[in-house]
Amino acid sequence: MNRRSFLRGTAGAGLALSAGLPSLCARLAAEDGGPDARVEARHYVKLADREIECRLCPRLCRLGDKERGYCGVRENVGGTYYTLVYGKVCSLNVDPIEKKPFFHVLPGTTALSLATAGCNVNCKFCQNWEISQARPEQVETIDLSPEAAAARAADARCPSIAYTYTEPTVFFEYMVDTAARARQNGIRNVVVTGGHINAEPLAELLSVVDAVKVDLKGFTQDFYTRYVRGELGPVLETIRAVARSKAWLEIVYLVIPTLNDRMDLIREMARWVRSEAGADVPLHFSRFHPMYLVKNLPPTPVSTLEAARRAALEEGLRFVYVGNVPGHEAEDTNCPGCGTTVVARTAYRIDAVRIDKGKCEKCGTLIPGLWT
Amino acid sequence: MAASRVVVVKAAGAWTPSGAPDATAIARMFARGFALLTGEGSPAAAAASLFRPDDRVGIKVNTIGGRALSTRPEVALSLAAWVAGGGLPEKNIVVWDRTTRELREAGYAPGDGKAGVRILGTDADGVGYGPDLVSHLGVGSLFSRIQTGYVTASISLAVLKDHGLAGVTAGMKNYFGAIHNPNKYHDSGCDPYVAEVFDAPPVKSRHRLTVLDAMTVQFHRGPSFHARWAAKFGGFVFGLDPVAVDSVGWTIIERLRAGAGLQTLEVEGRAPKYLATAVNMGLGRSDPAAIELIEESLA
Repeated sequence: MNRRSFLRGTAGAGLALSAGLPSLCARLAAEDGGPDARVEARHYVKLADREIECRLCPRLCRLGDKERGYCGVRENVGGTYYTLVYGKVCSLNVDPIEKKPFFHVLPGTTALSLATAGCNVNCKFCQNWEISQARPEQVETIDLSPEAAAARAADARCPSIAYTYTEPTVFFEYMVDTAARARQNGIRNVVVTGGHINAEPLAELLSVVDAVKVDLKGFTQDFYTRYVRGELGPVLETIRAVARSKAWLEIVYLVIPTLNDRMDLIREMARWVRSEAGADVPLHFSRFHPMYLVKNLPPTPVSTLEAARRAALEEGLRFVYVGNVPGHEAEDTNCPGCGTTVVARTAYRIDAVRIDKGKCEKCGTLIPGLWT
Repeated sequence: MAASRVVVVKAAGAWTPSGAPDATAIARMFARGFALLTGEGSPAAAAASLFRPDDRVGIKVNTIGGRALSTRPEVALSLAAWVAGGGLPEKNIVVWDRTTRELREAGYAPGDGKAGVRILGTDADGVGYGPDLVSHLGVGSLFSRIQTGYVTASISLAVLKDHGLAGVTAGMKNYFGAIHNPNKYHDSGCDPYVAEVFDAPPVKSRHRLTVLDAMTVQFHRGPSFHARWAAKFGGFVFGLDPVAVDSVGWTIIERLRAGAGLQTLEVEGRAPKYLATAVNMGLGRSDPAAIELIEESLA
């Protein structure tokens, strides 16, 4: 039905399905009305007159019958709220974990990386808007149960599953169930999120995942209002909560020329990270490339990224990286004790790891992270 | 500048005793409504004054509300017949919405309609959304290829409903069904997004006529159907000024609300503020003094 034509119309829509999966025809035959096409959502309350209020993210969408939330993937059907993307994977790849990026998590390994359609914000600079801003029926999907996802990760020799590409919060039920199943099989779970999630579901999520990377997209509410269509406060709360949890935390800050590259704000953000999450939280300053609705700005000058990194280091953060600049020296992890390069990287390739039992091989300084 | 003419026509026999819409009454309301709107004496002349014989006319219906609260097939097909009466081949008319499923659930029989009016969901094979992202003001969306690649003249045939977020959903907001991501544009009372989607070239360059299906009007707790607050208004609203039509639709909803003892949308904090935005963008007029309102009830 429509997905093929939709895809024809949106060539290069970013769908990336691994080889070896069922054929397109088989996938299309299995979709729409197949098993588990709808699964009741968690974290919502039923109201009068068949209305519901979603409690998954700070938007608290209040919806009448037949309406969908802001994310576009959760629908009120007769007063019961359903997720429409449970097991409906639209992007599936085996990626280096450095691509997420996680620099302090299992370096040199691959993560089975998956996503469904949907997102609960609308960043004007989204790199994956073709799937994040789409509804489930507008993208090609495969059916992949939590059990199948865990098995596929094992088959591909991936020690982790990454919930990524779009906003995993919107496929919360599928992510949590998959993570729990994968964990039973000894597979770790890592999440790449914008951090727009409420405290209760976040706590549930943190009970089954091992690492969370939060995209902190700016450090003013004005930026979040104008360019993200979201709220900064809940994102900061998420960062605090992850930092307090057992899960490993990394933060990415995409530096966009003229929009969020003021050094005083970057410095303030770095101070906040150190104060609220700790000096050991890796902070990645990532390079922007024109995309989606922000095509009128140039890529971020590397000098800006380097200045941001210097500011963050001066504010006391110990692991600050430059991202999306392959070959840059600030891709490496250096020991804060002796300065030795303990993880040498070139883009997503690991050139050397000099960490033994979580410590610098040379001086024995603890290098925080999830190394084995 | 002449006032924007908006015509409201009701018919006593709009509903049959069994509760079904009366096709004959609907046809009469269309004939009278368009005659009053265009000033033309015959239905054919009225239609010909709005559409060229070589136009490809899209009738954008709203079928999200299921059978109870969607643009009724009897209404859409009656409108299509009226358009065709102006000399346009039926095959040049498409009744359309987002999905085949929603059209079916609203009572339509989507198909290729080779011999006549086509009924089509954007998700139908070979249709889909246009390849180019339309970035317009605060909106970034893919538009239905029916709107961008087929239609030369567009009619918004919307259901008149209260809307929990927007206040009122009518002719302009109906075009949310032409984009792939309407869920992204419901913040802030859908303002300025209703106006901005309408102002986007795929809509603004093709929109020619608004007709509100007010056979049933959901005047509270919309846009979902709630029988308790759904009035069998039994009429239609016609106009060429999309803002004026929706503004009149708002007054109808307020009248029904008042009749039911409900507060105004303004008091509830749900006034459709996108109408003022649309006025400021030059899309039409909402000031009652700038609207020539003609109301008629057919016996």
